Amino acid sequence: MMQKEIYIQESPRQWKDFIAHYLNLDIRKYEKAFKKFNRGGLFLFFFFLILALFPSLFAPYPPTERFVSYEPPSVAHLLGTNDIGNDILSELVYGARISMMVGFASACISTLIGLMIGLCSGYFRGTMDELLMGFTDVVLIIPKIPLIIIIGAFLHPSIWTLILVLGLLSWESIARVVRSKTLQIREAGYVKSAQCMGFSSFHIMASDIFPNLIHVLLPKFMLATASAMISEASLSFLGLGDINMKSWGIMLSFAFSRGGFIRDMWWWYIPPGVCITLCVMSIALIGFGFEGKDENGKRGVDAE
Amino acid sequence: MSLKAENISKRYGSGLLREGKCIFREVSFELEPGKTFGLMGPSGEGKSTLGRIIAGLESPTDGAVLLNGNPLSGMKKAEYAAFRHRVQMMFQDPTDSFNPRKRIEHSISEVLKLLNNQETKRLQITKEMLKTIGLPEEVLARYPAQLSGGQLQRLALGRILLLEPEYIVLDEPTSALDVSVQAQILHLLKKVQEEQGIGYLLISHDEAVIRFMSERIGMLKKGKLDMIRT
Repeated sequence: MMQKEIYIQESPRQWKDFIAHYLNLDIRKYEKAFKKFNRGGLFLFFFFLILALFPSLFAPYPPTERFVSYEPPSVAHLLGTNDIGNDILSELVYGARISMMVGFASACISTLIGLMIGLCSGYFRGTMDELLMGFTDVVLIIPKIPLIIIIGAFLHPSIWTLILVLGLLSWESIARVVRSKTLQIREAGYVKSAQCMGFSSFHIMASDIFPNLIHVLLPKFMLATASAMISEASLSFLGLGDINMKSWGIMLSFAFSRGGFIRDMWWWYIPPGVCITLCVMSIALIGFGFEGKDENGKRGVDAE
Repeated sequence: MSLKAENISKRYGSGLLREGKCIFREVSFELEPGKTFGLMGPSGEGKSTLGRIIAGLESPTDGAVLLNGNPLSGMKKAEYAAFRHRVQMMFQDPTDSFNPRKRIEHSISEVLKLLNNQETKRLQITKEMLKTIGLPEEVLARYPAQLSGGQLQRLALGRILLLEPEYIVLDEPTSALDVSVQAQILHLLKKVQEEQGIGYLLISHDEAVIRFMSERIGMLKKGKLDMIRT
């Protein structure tokens, strides 16, 4: 009995040693990095990511194929059909790609803008800092959703305009965090000595400051993705989305406008709502996982 | 080549209407090649600020730093780039002087790239540098967090030496180290000075260190520089 217990304790270490030794692949190194993530969030996120990448594997029908409309859930249509007879489960699976794409693309844009503005104002300080931060404050106080509705009304509704508008209007908090961290790093000895040795400002920002910003930038990126997905859903619900690319928000919008709520067809409006909630939650959980832990895997106060 | 501080004053927090607080006033001294000027004084008197001004990292409120008689503030871009290589600064905290995200090798080869060295030559130069500062080649593959303070301070000096400077501002180079390592670093600094004829501005609050190293000593106290040993 005793021996068996010892064996159970020893075995994981042994196979990891084995792999490290014979395949020259040290899993333990990656294990430490893996602990930074919030695992529940990661699991959910990968589920949605696979849905988004390979929708044809999971969807029973192509999303545009038509059947009898307003059908309740059955074996043939697990979540029933909508007003024009599309299978709702298939729509849901194909909608993952669009919702996630909008979220990630606009988060990329906003992170990039926030990084540039934050880095420049934190590193150069002085007049540049005051101008850029003044501009940031102005953007910060603009109410986003009403502005996006106005812009959406004038522009042709498509997901690209949505991505662009969401990306261009949500960088301020990233810029502020990056600036405050940059202000701290620029006083470090290695930045001072790089200045002293005559490296260009661009080189110092790209190779000395930026790598030390990543651990504040990643959680911010994840949270920006989550909030962009929510904004996308609410804007699509208000009818500003692209009807040709059905996201979860547009499904909700149709369920509302084509009688899903009135007929109490819960299988039409609850699944997209649940999907939005779970997907945003998974991304936010990953973000929190990054945020709470510093490089050493300890819970840090410094994580902003 | 001479490096001279002429009537330097520094104020902090001055604006259009406010005078600001004067840290020191009309300080003048000259650094000579191959010799050490020791700068002592109680803390908070602006020793480090003075060092940063000499190294060109900050500008003085009044007065000028002169390189061969040319003031720093009036230099053209090419002249300033040359100055940047000639005058270097070494900082107090060795753990802070290398980017924690880069291997030592990377930090050093960056400097060699800056100097337009061929890739084949870089390794050889790095090896020679390590021999000068007395460290094994294994340190190159390490991250700064994996090295001791003494090793990092040697590497910081080695990296500065790659630029072949004529003057180095040493801002409390040994105060973060324990006594036995302090002595090693000081001896290394002396050796390098004898071999390459570099002029030092040594800033420290440790009188023993200053007296051991310096030919001339100044005391920065109450905003004024008094010469103690000339």
